Amino acid sequence: MRQGFYSGGWTYTLLVAPILILIVIFFYIPVGLAFFWSFFLERPFGGGSDFVGFQNYARVLSDPEFWSAMRRTLVFMVLAPGLAIGISLILALAADRGLRLSSAARNIIIWPKAVAGASIGVVFVFIFDPFLGVFAPLNEAFPGVWNPRTDGNDAFATILVAQIWNGIPFNFIILLSGLQAIPDTLTKAAAMDGAGPWRRIRDIQLPLLTPQLFLTFVLEFVGTIVEAFGLIDTMTQGGPGGATTLLIYKIYVDGFKAYDLSGAATQTALLILFVGIMVLLQFRLEKHVKYER
Amino acid sequence: MTGTRITIDNVTKRYDRVEVIPGLSAQFEAGEFTVILGPSGCGKSTLLNMLAGLEEVTSGRLLFGAREVQNVPAKDRGCAMVFQNYALYPHMSVADNIGYSLKLAKVRKAERVERIAAVARIAGLEGYLDRRPSQLSGGQRQRVAIARAIVREPGVLLFDEPLSNLDAKLRNDMRIELSNLHKRIGATSVFVTHDQVEAMTLADRILILNEGQIEQFATPGEIYHRPRTTFVAEFIGAPAMNLLKARGEGGNLCLASGTPMTTVAHEGEVLAGVRPERIELSDAGLKAQVLYREDLGSHHILLVQLDSGEQMRLSTSQGGANADSSEVFLHIPPDAVHLFDPETQQRIN
Repeated sequence: MRQGFYSGGWTYTLLVAPILILIVIFFYIPVGLAFFWSFFLERPFGGGSDFVGFQNYARVLSDPEFWSAMRRTLVFMVLAPGLAIGISLILALAADRGLRLSSAARNIIIWPKAVAGASIGVVFVFIFDPFLGVFAPLNEAFPGVWNPRTDGNDAFATILVAQIWNGIPFNFIILLSGLQAIPDTLTKAAAMDGAGPWRRIRDIQLPLLTPQLFLTFVLEFVGTIVEAFGLIDTMTQGGPGGATTLLIYKIYVDGFKAYDLSGAATQTALLILFVGIMVLLQFRLEKHVKYER
Repeated sequence: MTGTRITIDNVTKRYDRVEVIPGLSAQFEAGEFTVILGPSGCGKSTLLNMLAGLEEVTSGRLLFGAREVQNVPAKDRGCAMVFQNYALYPHMSVADNIGYSLKLAKVRKAERVERIAAVARIAGLEGYLDRRPSQLSGGQRQRVAIARAIVREPGVLLFDEPLSNLDAKLRNDMRIELSNLHKRIGATSVFVTHDQVEAMTLADRILILNEGQIEQFATPGEIYHRPRTTFVAEFIGAPAMNLLKARGEGGNLCLASGTPMTTVAHEGEVLAGVRPERIELSDAGLKAQVLYREDLGSHHILLVQLDSGEQMRLSTSQGGANADSSEVFLHIPPDAVHLFDPETQQRIN
């Protein structure tokens, strides 16, 4: 439907053009090229390429390292958003109830949003240092219990904690604003109907919060797959022994360290397909989201 | 269903340093319909919320029957409430909205369905049970809110300005429905409003609240005919009662200028109140100029000025002898005059 206050289709085009141009240059063209290159064997130092069809895919898909990176990505993808949203939800519910100090907490919880991913990595390396960090006393009591430099699980946990810590502020803001948009009288009405605080969370607040939960879920999901790069690069460089090599980091190492440009392009294409499928699944889930207020 | 007698015993409410209710005592009889009436900010909603358990009582006691409830949480008080903005759960169907309290009370499904259907019939909501609140009109939503409140058969029903979001015609209809409903279910009802028409028509007794204190607690008739204070006198009735500075001298009630207005037994300074509808137009008497005339169809409201400068409002039936003239003569019957003490603002006669 054409609206009365904008006449002429060119206005729309002009208004949308700048962002469209940026998206095309920095997103669609690279993505297209990644798919294009995944069908060629690229020479590491330039100088031409050969069409090889699906050979790159066959090579990547039969590589056990690809699959272990994929498995780690999946575990990370389930744990990080789950915990980041779960913790944010608990914090938001507490802040919304107006418990003591909640207005101060509201401020403090948002601050980490201002810290860049790479900086978080540097800080957490220090916090989790086996000899100087928070777990150093533990190591004194039981030598060697905690060492993310040598123990793969410890390293993975470190990345996980940093990622969750990074995600909490944004989720917290979204969920808290969602909770505050629920009219006060609904809570009162539920209390009059005989619902205690827990029951009200379950029956009133959570159902009415589904739009915000869905939004944070989608963003966290994609975020954990691609944004973990900065943390891995600053904290563990994928180690020890590949224990923190998620797919996104493997692509970087293969492409820019090992100069396997075709392999990296192929894995990028696979990663994009994977994210696409995940987001599609999520939007099928969206049918259960209740937007009625 | 029988109502619960409510006793408010020296209840106070304070927010930080602001005292909203300085100490209030009243008793609402079992099955009585009480309307709490007052201007914005008089503490009437606070009082209702304290009865409901949605706000804490600073000090004093609240009794439902013989049970002390001031420290009982809202969900265990056994009262139900209808909110101004309906407060329906938007994600639940009408049936689920009505049945939520039964579900929480662990009433069996079959009985639940039966009771939901029964109140839906009372509230005229048959055929709407599967709809969402967003698919209903304002009046229907308010019916759902009322059905939700009465389905548990509470001993106490609280209404927080439930009609003020409805348009004028619907409000009139709902008023009659509410009145009938109250007679049918017999719960002790407490209804908060700032609309005096609602108060006059619905209440068994009206509690008029001003700055957290009771100005008068009496039947609508008593409140209209014998207001206890000047506040009540001016608050009830539209247009408001005329209040004039006057003096009782030798059987006459004289205006400040000395002009005799009507006869009176009282001696000394008073505030004389006369309702606009009790002032009669006649051929002789107090002379007044008509400043403004409002034609409301069924009657006229005149703003007049006496020769001595006082202004009064009077309402007159259409087509009266002096309806169109700019100069009128007023007759004030002696029994139409309410006398108040100018110092205490309390009623004298």
